[in-house]
Amino acid sequence: MENDMSMTMLTVFQITGVSAAYLGVTLFLPWLLLRRKLASLRAGAGFMVCFMAGNFYCMNLVFLLQLFHISNRVTLILGTLLPFLAAAARKRKGTLAAVLEHRTRKVRMIFEGGLGVRTFLLGLGVKMRRASAGWIGQWLAPRWPDVLLTLGIIGLVLFQYGSNTVNVYGYCASDMVQHNYWINHMEANRIFVDGVYPFGFHCVMYYLHEVFSVPVYVLLRVFALPQTLMIHLVLLAFLKLVCKSKYTPYVGTMAYIISGVFYQYTYFRYYAPLPQEYGMLFILPAAWFAIAFLREKEFGTGARGNLLLFSLCISMTLATHFYDTVAAGLFCIGIGAGFCFRCLRWRYLRRLFLAGVVGILIALLPMAAAYVTGTPLQGSLHWGMNMLSSGSKEETVQEEPGEEGSAVQENDDGEAVKDGPKKDSSVSWRKVLDCILGELKYYVTNDSMAAAKFMLGSVGVLTALGILWCVLRRPDYGAVLVSTGLFAGILCILQASAKLGLPQLIEVSRYSVYIGYGLAAVWSLCADGVVYLLFLERKGIHLGGIAALAASFGAIAMTGFRTPVRISAYETNDAITCLTNILRENGDSTSWTICSANDEQQMTWGKGYHYEVIDFLRDQKELKPDTTLMIPTDTVYFFIEKIPILYLDYINTIKPERRVSLEGAEIPLPEVKGLLPYIQDERWVTMSHMYYWAQAFRDLYPNEMEVYYETDAFVCYRVRQDGFGLYNFAVDYGYNR
Amino acid sequence: MISRRNYITLTILMAVVLFLCMCLNSLKDGWNDYAVNRYTETAENYPSKVNIYVPGSAAEESAGGEEAPEKIGAERITARNCVVCIGDRDRLSLQAAEIWAAYTKRDLAVYSSLESYRDTAGSPGPPEMMVLDPESINWKDASEIRFLNTCVEEGTHLVFCDLPDAAVIGSSLQVQELLGIRSVLQEEVSVTGFHLREGFLLGGETSYLEKERPDAETYLPGSKAFPVERTFPWYLPGAGTKVYMKGIPEGDDVKADQYPIVMWRKSFGTAYVFAVNGEWMEGMEGLGILSAMSAEMYSYELYPVLNAQNIILAGYPSVADENALEMERIYSRSVKQVFQEILWPGISTLLQKYDYRATCMMTPQYDYSDRQEPDGKQLNYYLKIFNERGAETGLSGVRVSNTSIREKLEADRAFFGEALGGYDVVSFHGGDMGEEEIMEALQTDMLASVRTIVRDYDASKPEPAGFLSENVTVQSTLGDGMEYTYKSDFLVRSIQTALGYFSMSYDLSRVAYPEKEEEAWEQLSQALASTISTYGSQFPEFARTTAAECDMHIRQFLALDYCDSRTGDCIELQVEGVNGPVWFILRTHNEAVKEMKGGSWQKLEEGAYLIEVTESKAVLILKPADVRFYR
Repeated sequence: MENDMSMTMLTVFQITGVSAAYLGVTLFLPWLLLRRKLASLRAGAGFMVCFMAGNFYCMNLVFLLQLFHISNRVTLILGTLLPFLAAAARKRKGTLAAVLEHRTRKVRMIFEGGLGVRTFLLGLGVKMRRASAGWIGQWLAPRWPDVLLTLGIIGLVLFQYGSNTVNVYGYCASDMVQHNYWINHMEANRIFVDGVYPFGFHCVMYYLHEVFSVPVYVLLRVFALPQTLMIHLVLLAFLKLVCKSKYTPYVGTMAYIISGVFYQYTYFRYYAPLPQEYGMLFILPAAWFAIAFLREKEFGTGARGNLLLFSLCISMTLATHFYDTVAAGLFCIGIGAGFCFRCLRWRYLRRLFLAGVVGILIALLPMAAAYVTGTPLQGSLHWGMNMLSSGSKEETVQEEPGEEGSAVQENDDGEAVKDGPKKDSSVSWRKVLDCILGELKYYVTNDSMAAAKFMLGSVGVLTALGILWCVLRRPDYGAVLVSTGLFAGILCILQASAKLGLPQLIEVSRYSVYIGYGLAAVWSLCADGVVYLLFLERKGIHLGGIAALAASFGAIAMTGFRTPVRISAYETNDAITCLTNILRENGDSTSWTICSANDEQQMTWGKGYHYEVIDFLRDQKELKPDTTLMIPTDTVYFFIEKIPILYLDYINTIKPERRVSLEGAEIPLPEVKGLLPYIQDERWVTMSHMYYWAQAFRDLYPNEMEVYYETDAFVCYRVRQDGFGLYNFAVDYGYNR
Repeated sequence: MISRRNYITLTILMAVVLFLCMCLNSLKDGWNDYAVNRYTETAENYPSKVNIYVPGSAAEESAGGEEAPEKIGAERITARNCVVCIGDRDRLSLQAAEIWAAYTKRDLAVYSSLESYRDTAGSPGPPEMMVLDPESINWKDASEIRFLNTCVEEGTHLVFCDLPDAAVIGSSLQVQELLGIRSVLQEEVSVTGFHLREGFLLGGETSYLEKERPDAETYLPGSKAFPVERTFPWYLPGAGTKVYMKGIPEGDDVKADQYPIVMWRKSFGTAYVFAVNGEWMEGMEGLGILSAMSAEMYSYELYPVLNAQNIILAGYPSVADENALEMERIYSRSVKQVFQEILWPGISTLLQKYDYRATCMMTPQYDYSDRQEPDGKQLNYYLKIFNERGAETGLSGVRVSNTSIREKLEADRAFFGEALGGYDVVSFHGGDMGEEEIMEALQTDMLASVRTIVRDYDASKPEPAGFLSENVTVQSTLGDGMEYTYKSDFLVRSIQTALGYFSMSYDLSRVAYPEKEEEAWEQLSQALASTISTYGSQFPEFARTTAAECDMHIRQFLALDYCDSRTGDCIELQVEGVNGPVWFILRTHNEAVKEMKGGSWQKLEEGAYLIEVTESKAVLILKPADVRFYR
């Protein structure tokens, strides 16, 4: 049997490992610390508390250590253990040493050789088995339908998004390289290396990289899946907390995952671990903790806790991505309107406002500290601010609503997005509605006016249901429905902000991501509102929930399922496979270079060297007898795409088909700068040159230039050389121009 | 009172102890047939000179000497790779090339000048390789350069044993282009060392560095002698070249890519041009360099080797009490005691550690003019322990008196007859004796059974192994084992590459007759330990042999004929002309041996394998040297 492993299997292991590490830090450890305090909370609330506390602590621990330039594995682990030590010290005041001695007895015995590791693990297993037979069984008994449905949701997420992560190894968004670069520099305690930017996401990635030794490029390849899974689980937890029926939360969550009504851009970004999507994890918890606070009649410990967690969530949205703070703020506006009967009371409003401000300050503090000490703002922040200030005045050539085709403009990530339909000058309610529907149809649906109307209608229905429930003297429940309805409604209006002359808070196409997410909540709450109306607190409410779930599934089946997509990544699978092999083979040696048109420079940061293909070719342009091109490492790898990838700025699924050819090599090398020689046709020309260079070099060095890895679309050559006798890679390949 | 049961137990125990202490040694002595040389038994099973493989019928000396080519095996020239040597046949590098062609079973044609070759070129087809003496080419004649370029285009690899003057190269871009020289930086540069690239000669990457500190000899043993002169023209390599060896100039301000090149190749796509800057190929070293170059030319190269590693203890032991006063002064012991009590324990331990099997070229006495007669008992003792340790007992021609070789051998015969009733010697150490003297010695009754002559290293004879007469082979040692130098290191690497052969001579007569204080065993033992450990740690895969066993390998090697072909990953090798095992070295590029039929294989180093072929047809299956773990 061959001693090898498929990349798919490796990716599965990597996803499992990264998920375990992330959830261990952000869920398990907080639960371990807070489990007694969480005993009185509902499972969903406990989940949110743990998850928020874990993320907040991890994120800010890194911020703190980075700002003091003392971040490394030891300080991070010590910082992680600090709350446990503090809790133990408080609990065992005066006897801490004795307790520590007692608790670490077995560990000490293992180190001293008195106890074998296997014996220790056996004892631990027996203990866990006994414990699980007790409380896990008790906990599961009344919850098994919920557990099954939750597992079903997890399964759907894994099916919908996992197949891409497992089968597409490259980065699925063009700006991942930039994030990779920023995270790499955190190793040297150089946070904000490229300017001040919300680094919450990067802090968590860096934490996982440093503490668990997961390479950054692996994190950025696979973290999208656990992140997306948690986004959906947070949605489910939120809905479980606000819905009356046990099963209606699954309606919206399921629809959001498998319904084919959504335009691809509403979910495409989940295929990459992007900060904005990471920040979405904290929007609904922020809303929930605000709602939970407003539901409190008195300001006891619970209320204070909810306020604190609200602050943390707001802080994390801002620390991760400004757009998420905007979205959370919009939800807060909805909540303010929905819970106006409490919010208008000064004692509620004051506390809520203060908590929000504190949250924002917590997030701004590290960035402000860096800014004050001379670190400039990162470029995209300027872009975001400009968008905020000039968004309402922005005018572009656009088409009429409902028309096919559109102009293309770029967002902050350099992603091309569809422009909306033209602005209508005559403002009337009917026109406004048409405009909103047109935008929804364009950005959120697959060009279906019926779907747009259904979406906007469901928002209206939810708001109406909320008001109805307020009238029916269920103000807290009604307020939640109204809040959610208003949040989704505001997002729908803002989606058309450019057309309506409203301030454009975020880049226009990004609204659709939040609208899709919000609609999941809207649909669940609609179903719940109706079921609750039919059954009230009677037992049948759960049966009603199941009926609603079945009905919604039927509706989805009728309108069509969404099939999992494969993103056209920014590196070929073969390139990543090669890279993984190279890293494995070279171990601690750093004397190797990859010459490629990819982002291996950041991916292999500190492990080896990288040579840009375009530089390599330009260095031997107009070859002269004394032209020398040497790469002073023991091994040089050349990545050549025989079918060059179609490098587009926006996330897409277009498969490249054009092969390198003499025709491409005959075209002079692109003169453009930056990434441009690697984009679209220029990449084909560059790769054609590279391919024919490789053939020429191989003619001269048939035994030295070996095929390291080859598929139909890709080939990697390896040249091993001697430090005293480096090869001159400059050869006449016939197209040196 | 002791019980009967205990009594019986004790008795059995005592009997066992008695058996172990007394009888085992007696049995060992009884079964040790040391008086019979074990290597005499199989002599007739091995090929003699009549069986030697010659590519064709015989060498044809051309009448004109210069006009017609001297072709060997012309009828097979199309079927077999052909080497064309152009230049003066007296030149050692050309001689080495001829010997190399014979060893690798290639056809050979020798021409005195490029012009004479040009006249006959084209028929029967382009040769595989041309080995060129730079003096045989008129470098100023552009047509000759063009002709060489044509040869390269037709697929003939060129090997320049040396280069023309730097001025000639500097003045001609055509020559520079042909030789892969980008520019002539200086017409002369003195270097402080050399760097040899990994993968060319066997033995891996190495550097020969000049002594820079007084204690450098400790850290840089061997720096006493460099392989060649350290002053040569400074060339920089051009595009399409691969440099195998570079000089290291003085100072730290010169970058490695600017170091003067010593051995390199220029690739033309159709064939390679190999160039050697200096007299590196003048001698046996040329064999290894040509083998290494040949391995570079193809995706794989399979060539026969001797596979023999010998340690020759010359003049050891002597069994007469000689030079007593001097011995008493230095060691406070007699020669016999020094050899038996001091030398043998140390030497045998070292040899055992590196798995060497010594060939002890004994001499009953060094001085045949004194009255000290050799001791028969001592002879018996040595033969016994040599037999036990698997060492071979040969005879050395060494003597310190003016006794002629014939007289010495007569005296030795008389002694052996008296002590053992006669002894058939298979290996004779001729040392630095001339060919005539050796032939005279071989006429004596004492050497009637001799099959192989071990000769001291002679830089002017580039043939390490061959036939001296119809039935007697000659094998050359590769130098004095007591002295490790860069020159000897390079020679050993070369010969190991070409033949898998190593033979180092340790002249221990110096212990009995030291000429200077440094030749006392105290100093010599350190040198011996140092060199044996140095050489012993290299190539443990090659067979450790005695001179007689090496003789068998030489006969097989010279008699064999072979051909190989490759289809995909499968190499088929057919061997003719021999019975019994023969050995080959397989050189590959980025490939490894996966399995083999008809023999066995061992990895020597990356891309080099020792192949033992036991059947007439062998099949080797190759695989990529490394496979990707993730796919």
